[in-house]
Amino acid sequence: MSRQSIVEALIRSRRTLAGPDLPPLRKEDAEGGCGVIGIAASVPIPGRHLLQSLRQMRNRGNGKGGGIAAVGLDPRFFDISPEVLEQDYLLTIAYLDPAVRGQVESSFVEPVFAVDHIFPIPTLPDFRAIPGLEVPPPEVVCYFGRVRPQVRERFLQQQGLSERERTTVEDEIVYQNSYRLNRTFYSSTGEKRAFVLSHGKNLLVLKMVGYGDDVIRYYRLEDLRAHVWIGHHRYPTKGRVWHPGGAHPFIGMHEALVHNGDFANYASITAYLAQRGVYPLFLTDTEVAVLVFDVHHRLYGYPLEYVIEAMAPTTERDFTLLPPEKQRVYRMLQTVHMHGSPDGPWFFLIAQSDPNERAYRLIGITDTSMLRPQVFALQQGHEAIGFAASEKQAIDAALESLSAEDPRFWSRADLYWNARGGSHTDGGAFIFTVQPNGASASLRCTDKFGRAIAPDPAKRPPTPWPIGGGAIAGAPVAPSALSDLDGSPEDAFTRLCRRIPTWDYPDLLRFLEALEHRATDDEGRAWTIRLLSLLMDRHYPTGSMKRSGLLSLLDESFAGVVEAIRRAPSEGYVWMGCDGPQPEPLHPDQVLVIDARGYPPEGEGSLARMIVAMHRRGFRRFLVVHTRGHRFIANGLGPNSDGVRVDVYGFSGDYLASGIDGAEVVVHGTAQDQLAQIMKRGKLVVHGDVGQTFMYAAKGGEVYVLGNAAGRPLINAVGRPRVVINGTCLDYLAESFMAGDPLHGGGFVILNGVTFDEDGRLLDLETPYPGGNLFSLASGGAIYIRDPYRRITEDQLNGGAFAPLEAEDWALIRPYLEENERLFGISLQRLLTVEGEIAAPEQVYRKIRPAGHEALQPEEAWVRNQHG
Amino acid sequence: MDLTGKTAEELVIEKHVEALRRGFHLWPTLAFDRPPALGDARWTADLILATWLQAETGRPPDNGLEYRVGRSGGGFDRLDFKFLPPEQWLPEEEPVDTSIPLNRRPYDRRIEIPVPWYGAGMSFGSISEQVMVARAKAAQQWQTFTCTGEGGYPDSLIPYRDHVITQIATGMFGVREETVQWAPIVEFKYAQGAKPGLGGHLLGDKATVAVAKMRESVPWVSLFSPFPFHSVYSVEDHKKHIDWVKTMNPEALVSVKVSTPTDVDMVAVGSYYAGAHIIHLDGSYGGTGAAPEIAKKNIAMPIELAIPKVHRFLEQEGIRDEVVVMASGGIRTAHDVAKAIALGADGCILGTTELIALGCTRCSNCERGRGCPFGLTTTDPELSQLVDPDWAAERIGNLYRSFQQQLQGILRRLGLRSVRDLRGRRDLLRYERRDA
Repeated sequence: MSRQSIVEALIRSRRTLAGPDLPPLRKEDAEGGCGVIGIAASVPIPGRHLLQSLRQMRNRGNGKGGGIAAVGLDPRFFDISPEVLEQDYLLTIAYLDPAVRGQVESSFVEPVFAVDHIFPIPTLPDFRAIPGLEVPPPEVVCYFGRVRPQVRERFLQQQGLSERERTTVEDEIVYQNSYRLNRTFYSSTGEKRAFVLSHGKNLLVLKMVGYGDDVIRYYRLEDLRAHVWIGHHRYPTKGRVWHPGGAHPFIGMHEALVHNGDFANYASITAYLAQRGVYPLFLTDTEVAVLVFDVHHRLYGYPLEYVIEAMAPTTERDFTLLPPEKQRVYRMLQTVHMHGSPDGPWFFLIAQSDPNERAYRLIGITDTSMLRPQVFALQQGHEAIGFAASEKQAIDAALESLSAEDPRFWSRADLYWNARGGSHTDGGAFIFTVQPNGASASLRCTDKFGRAIAPDPAKRPPTPWPIGGGAIAGAPVAPSALSDLDGSPEDAFTRLCRRIPTWDYPDLLRFLEALEHRATDDEGRAWTIRLLSLLMDRHYPTGSMKRSGLLSLLDESFAGVVEAIRRAPSEGYVWMGCDGPQPEPLHPDQVLVIDARGYPPEGEGSLARMIVAMHRRGFRRFLVVHTRGHRFIANGLGPNSDGVRVDVYGFSGDYLASGIDGAEVVVHGTAQDQLAQIMKRGKLVVHGDVGQTFMYAAKGGEVYVLGNAAGRPLINAVGRPRVVINGTCLDYLAESFMAGDPLHGGGFVILNGVTFDEDGRLLDLETPYPGGNLFSLASGGAIYIRDPYRRITEDQLNGGAFAPLEAEDWALIRPYLEENERLFGISLQRLLTVEGEIAAPEQVYRKIRPAGHEALQPEEAWVRNQHG
Repeated sequence: MDLTGKTAEELVIEKHVEALRRGFHLWPTLAFDRPPALGDARWTADLILATWLQAETGRPPDNGLEYRVGRSGGGFDRLDFKFLPPEQWLPEEEPVDTSIPLNRRPYDRRIEIPVPWYGAGMSFGSISEQVMVARAKAAQQWQTFTCTGEGGYPDSLIPYRDHVITQIATGMFGVREETVQWAPIVEFKYAQGAKPGLGGHLLGDKATVAVAKMRESVPWVSLFSPFPFHSVYSVEDHKKHIDWVKTMNPEALVSVKVSTPTDVDMVAVGSYYAGAHIIHLDGSYGGTGAAPEIAKKNIAMPIELAIPKVHRFLEQEGIRDEVVVMASGGIRTAHDVAKAIALGADGCILGTTELIALGCTRCSNCERGRGCPFGLTTTDPELSQLVDPDWAAERIGNLYRSFQQQLQGILRRLGLRSVRDLRGRRDLLRYERRDA
């Protein structure tokens, strides 16, 4: 039987679903962004690690909706056999009114399912034990069941389908049954009494009116193990009464979706769905998103690549760079499904169980315009774990929590990256697939096009963790390691770079222990902190060790030095934490070490406000350690903050260094979104990547970024910002840049287009800039792009024009590249080296200057005439 | 150089100023016909002339000029009050309170303004520095506020900073930590009722050297602010935005200026939950002549529809008394202010009206560098000298006095002792079919 006839039969079978009282085509809820996190691992992970991520992202929700989904469950939690878990549908029903349970079971469970097992989800005795919960969470009952043969037979017969479509038809029966149940007991009655949380195989969804982490606490999922988790905080803004049905995740068939963002074309999508016999009931963007996914994936049977294309179409220049065959298929997809493509800012995370292929998946998809924050990560040891989230710090929080108790994982991921929405490069989507294989399982990460993302397999993980434990701690320090502690930290670092490739983790541990011993007096502390920072910040060969493993060990060592300062403050260093006293500076250069843990990420008493208060008290040197997503670091120092230096360690949060006007801020690691917004003056150094809208409307300052910027860096920047980005950007670099004439005091961006491999080798990126929009609508400033192979083409410029790199341009940017070398060890000589030979600067760097916007040229010409 | 010791330029300016001021005085008081081609259905010649007269005398006109409504045939022009019979009016000697609070939350600083309005954001670039200073002086005199708009904070405003709102709009031109820290109130401009979905724009002609310097942009190049804030695509981003301001200036009250799409009620509730103190609804009639014709009046909801929608919704949510709703975008007269409040606003924000008080005739040449014949919406160094800040501040102050007097009169005739009691009293309004 052809796919088309099956599709037609299924759509036909849904005719009875519509009914006379269809819900309106207007969405009922307004909600904005939210906080999302997804985890996929080759081993089942307990829910408490997801809890930690969600706890640290509470400021992305408002406690009016939270939920989780878990896929690849542990059968023991439900007291069933692995076979039942695998074969049975897991129908999970939320009873808002427990009195209807009998009625629901007799009319919607028993007639359709041969139930093998019933499992009420255990809860805390009293929901009020969780602070802030106002609405009692629903009672939840799981039914493990198989579709009754006679129900299936009837359906097959009615729709003229053969026994071969058995699975397809069973899925459809379950789907329609849930729809009818919801119509009866949730949306149409006005009274909301019961609804289906999930009905896929090996998939559990729980949600309620609260935060996502409350769900884990209340339903006692801390110990539930699953291969794939997604979690969500919601931020609805309407209604005094909230219902758990509005919280994420929403379900298709064997998948659940959480979402950050909102759509402008809800009505269009709803109409598109109605044509296919699908009628939303909960009236939110998220519900229609997963229904569209279900239509593409289950009804049409599209491969994931096509599903993703239909939702986040490839457009503009990226489309033209696709192979012709893909263009042909994608054009068809876009033609047919454009009305079902969510328009607006969105980022989806999908947890899916695939009973046919016996796989579990975590899928992250970003919209074509990349308007929501998103970050992916992967750690590959003997076991593997992948992440996708709204914020990097949420990933780090889960890894920190997990690695603290599970020796197979460590606290840093091997790779962190952003997706380029709707692009020809990665398609803006990544898929983590867990494939069980007997008792064990494997994890594979691929992009939309099926290309694998994997760290260097030759590197060994630092597992089991912690390495060696007590045995190594007692071992004598190798004399060679001690000699590494002579001279300046920079000299020591240079020597270590040669030595580390010959080491294994125990050698490194012994060395670090000796290093920590050195950090007893002020001189030793300064020396040690500097060397540890160099080791964390720089990229260098690590031999058989993984860089992520090495960084985990350095983190431990750094924490040890901080702990020593806490125990024994000195003339040069004093410690402060959230429950301790607030010290007075002994002298203005005394370094204040602030342990960020425990400070709120924003608002009153937050870390950011504490830094301002301590600056007023007289401190100028800050070492902010153990940050956990804290926002606004170094904001609020006010004008003329020259002489203030803030070093940030850990996982810092959004808006860091925004508005600084004189201060110097150094981030030892990767930073998040909205950094250096309206930055005026001063210096910012980031030893990693930066996120969305970096330096939005900045006025000036000197900025160095070791890695990449995400979308829209330097949009609307004016004045004289001078920026070196060593990696690249997703797209929209320097849109509406208005930074004067760089040769006469204005601003510019140097884009080097390089990256490091896992062994610290500097490599040229395939192209220094993959995006289709560079310097759009710019009227001032310049971009100096390192493009020796002339990969950047005119069609990427939209308001910019190539100009020859003159001697004065080189004289202008050279000092910044020299400082870049000093900060990151990226040598100017290496940057000028092309095919093994040193080339002239004008052969390597290209200048892009504003060309003026065509539409404005006549007017501007007129103005110039007027004003000479 | 002539015998008076003045340069030719100074004499030319003096002559023009003299002629203009004489005109502002004479036109409203002439017994014969109205000036030809003045005004339109919303801002009729009578309303413009009446505003000039009030700006001169501090009182409503008594010479027959219609100073309460226009002839648009809709909106505020069709609304009237159901006044009590005269014997139930409050006596003249009874005090009537026109003050409103700008923070209704139980925490953060208390700010009250003695009249239920303050000045709208108009940038340095859209208007001259002289006009900005004049507005700030009037705001100080009247203990209310004016707003920087998006174009920086001229040093000449610093003496008035307790009465100046710093606006953060999507281009964030001229916004620095310092300017945020000076401000008792910080306004996020998400959108403008005259052109929702479009950012601010200043054509190259007006981006003079001084304007470009303040904005740190390139002179004579058109400036476009993006739409929307690229760091704010959702309510949790918006909350983060507000948290940012509170980190820079923990004392500041936060106002959120939004236009009036059909789901403006949701936007208002979202802003409230994100921590805003003031929700500023900007309806479709507002904006300068510089907004594109295609956008003006064609996109946003008229303010008289938006106010009750938001007011009712906030009431249903049980949060109406924790947030201040300010309305703008077509508030022309004291009667418009009273009607907006009766529809559910706490107060109003005045932009165009203040420019009319200074002589604006709504000729819609605002986007040109030397387009404004009255030296208001210009940044031309010569033209802008047509406005003396002290003269202009006095005229704005006079208009305020006239408005306050009328508002008190309206309240008396409604038997209300405080403007706060008028809020949301739709029952006191009547929808009238008037002949246009």
